[in-house]
Amino acid sequence: MFEAVAFYLFAFLTVVMFSITVFTKQALYALTSLAAGMIFISAFYFILGADFLGAVQIIVYTGAVMALYAFAMMFFDTTRDVKEHTRSPQIVFLLGGMVALLIVIIFAVPIVSENITANYPVAEGVGNSQAVGIVLFTKYLVPFEVAAVMLLVAMVAGIVLAGKKMDHSLTLMEDEEIEFAEKSNEKAVS
Amino acid sequence: MSLEQFQDRNVAEQNYFHVDIADYPTTNMGKFKRLLSRTFKGELFVGLWVVFREMVKFDIHTVQYPKEKLPVGPRYRAVHKMQRLFESGTERCIGCGLCEKICISNCIRMETKLDENSRKLVTDYTINLGRCIFCGYCAEVCPELAIVHGARYENASDQRAHFTDFNDMLTPIDSAIAGKQKEFDGFGAVTPHEDERVNITPLAY
Amino acid sequence: MDMAFLIETIVKIVVILLVFSALAGFGTYFERKVLAFMQRRLGPMHVGPYGLLQIAADGIKLFTKEDIVPQNVVAPIFKIAPVITAATAFMAAAAIPFMPSFTMFGYEVHPIVADINIGILYILGVMGAGLYGPLLGGLASANKWSLISTARAASIFISYEVITGLALLAPLMMVGSLSLIDFNTYQAGGFGDWIVWSQPVAFVLFVIAGFAETGRTPFHLVANDHEIIDGFGTEYSGMRWGLFFIGEYANMFFISFVIAIIFLGGYGDGSGLGALALLAKVSFIFFFFLWTRAAWPDIRPDQLMWLCWKVLMPIAVINIVITGIVMMF
Repeated sequence: MFEAVAFYLFAFLTVVMFSITVFTKQALYALTSLAAGMIFISAFYFILGADFLGAVQIIVYTGAVMALYAFAMMFFDTTRDVKEHTRSPQIVFLLGGMVALLIVIIFAVPIVSENITANYPVAEGVGNSQAVGIVLFTKYLVPFEVAAVMLLVAMVAGIVLAGKKMDHSLTLMEDEEIEFAEKSNEKAVS
Repeated sequence: MSLEQFQDRNVAEQNYFHVDIADYPTTNMGKFKRLLSRTFKGELFVGLWVVFREMVKFDIHTVQYPKEKLPVGPRYRAVHKMQRLFESGTERCIGCGLCEKICISNCIRMETKLDENSRKLVTDYTINLGRCIFCGYCAEVCPELAIVHGARYENASDQRAHFTDFNDMLTPIDSAIAGKQKEFDGFGAVTPHEDERVNITPLAY
Repeated sequence: MDMAFLIETIVKIVVILLVFSALAGFGTYFERKVLAFMQRRLGPMHVGPYGLLQIAADGIKLFTKEDIVPQNVVAPIFKIAPVITAATAFMAAAAIPFMPSFTMFGYEVHPIVADINIGILYILGVMGAGLYGPLLGGLASANKWSLISTARAASIFISYEVITGLALLAPLMMVGSLSLIDFNTYQAGGFGDWIVWSQPVAFVLFVIAGFAETGRTPFHLVANDHEIIDGFGTEYSGMRWGLFFIGEYANMFFISFVIAIIFLGGYGDGSGLGALALLAKVSFIFFFFLWTRAAWPDIRPDQLMWLCWKVLMPIAVINIVITGIVMMF
């Protein structure tokens, strides 16, 4: 009873939030509703008894990923409406609709054929976080490590791209030095 | 703060000293050394200790203003006062009009007439405090030390005229006869050791 | 899901809401007084005896002030943002065991709203969500000072969440549980069993990260009054600003509780003395928040990032590795 009420409540809220994200023209509404939707999704994990994943969902998506989105949004004037330039809305509608349909089919097929069983059901006496740990470090060890290496590569690449001029500071430089640096920069570009 | 300290404007001889600040390190090794010393020297705890000591000592310096008031220096220039002569208690003002003349913001206005003894009598004397800039020239120019600057600095009132009435500024007659009127030693008054500072006028020219 | 459990939970929630709101109010009073004494001042003196009723005066002022929503702001988001700050500060209190369980009217009361077995993760998550108060408030304000403060808030929260998580990992490995009650029972042996003795580095790291996430003085950059006015709170007035304020002080108390429970032994063996000791520890940590505000200067935003990524994070990782090696052998 309680679970059913909670499920329908959060399902409704999640759908409403993500609809706002998609349909609104105001970037700040989209950001807020996306973050709220991420939190509401974590409610499903809590209902299913996967506390660990629920908390991680909040930390990772709401706490980190959405905050990074917000970082990018600080470069725009978020108080104005976004003007969208779509040349042919029909094609957008068709492609979007087909992708949505595909996703629904992909997720519906196993349910229809009743093929879903939990590979790693919650064991008695083993806590939630332990269960995640056991799965992560036995069956999914290689993908887990590969993902970690990939993130490391991305981080190194990001630092290399961003950190070219990290060793000199504009505050400590004299005016002539700054001009010289700019000129040599222009030469390098041209 | 006592009145003596308050009057001591000799800043150079007070307890000021220069703080010895080291230069910023430029090399990486120097920066690393500075980081280590800042981390392990415990300078942050010195700061904590200082403020904690002050809290425990409870040496409060707040002046709870409407209840307590700081002494005002004698040369402070607040709302004017009109003095009386000590023995007779008559007004010192002789109606010469110098203050009216010298006032650079034109806020003093006086009217005089000759009384039955052929002495000049001030019939009307007002100071427009809305215009007064409290420069103190009137007190300086007054030959009789009749108009002086008082120490009444609380100027809040609902009527500007509350300060301009001559009778308000005048020392009350009873306190003047009782000898309670203090001689003014502030702006424009004769300085205490004036005699020692008077030099012989050189007549060489 | 019986009725008694529901009623008990609701009562607990109401009590925590009221107590934390009152604590936030008293927190402002203590902050003013402590800072004043440390700076040789008297602090509030006129409203009530020793200024004690200043809290009531402030409350009346905040409630009755005009609620201004300026032009050009994104009004719905602008109105939601302070609620998020206050709500996350109170929500985080749900997973904290405030006292040992006691018996009242023949009914055993556990003074914790939800004893979830991932208490610490939940706390980290709610603290992460607390970012949205300053973030949305600043973005919606149509004010450049607010925007700067928002950028700082986002960078500080993202960076210092890493430190919080890594610093907590080492004690987590020792205790082997994410529940705060397990942390407490682990340290129930007394003074010598406190995690702060076995994990001093993690303790220092967590305290530093706590200062950063609550935005208290050495890292008071999000609402740094002397350079960016009040940051994300610049455009707010009345009770909306008051909610930001309550959220900040509730957060301080909440962090104090977390530090006391995780590192300083919590309520110990569960006796009445232990509960008093917990209160004393929390009060001291709260006092420490105010103490540093009187003593230490603020640092620059770039120094804060430097501190996080170049100093604290390597130390935290090394601490975890050493803890792991020690635990293995």
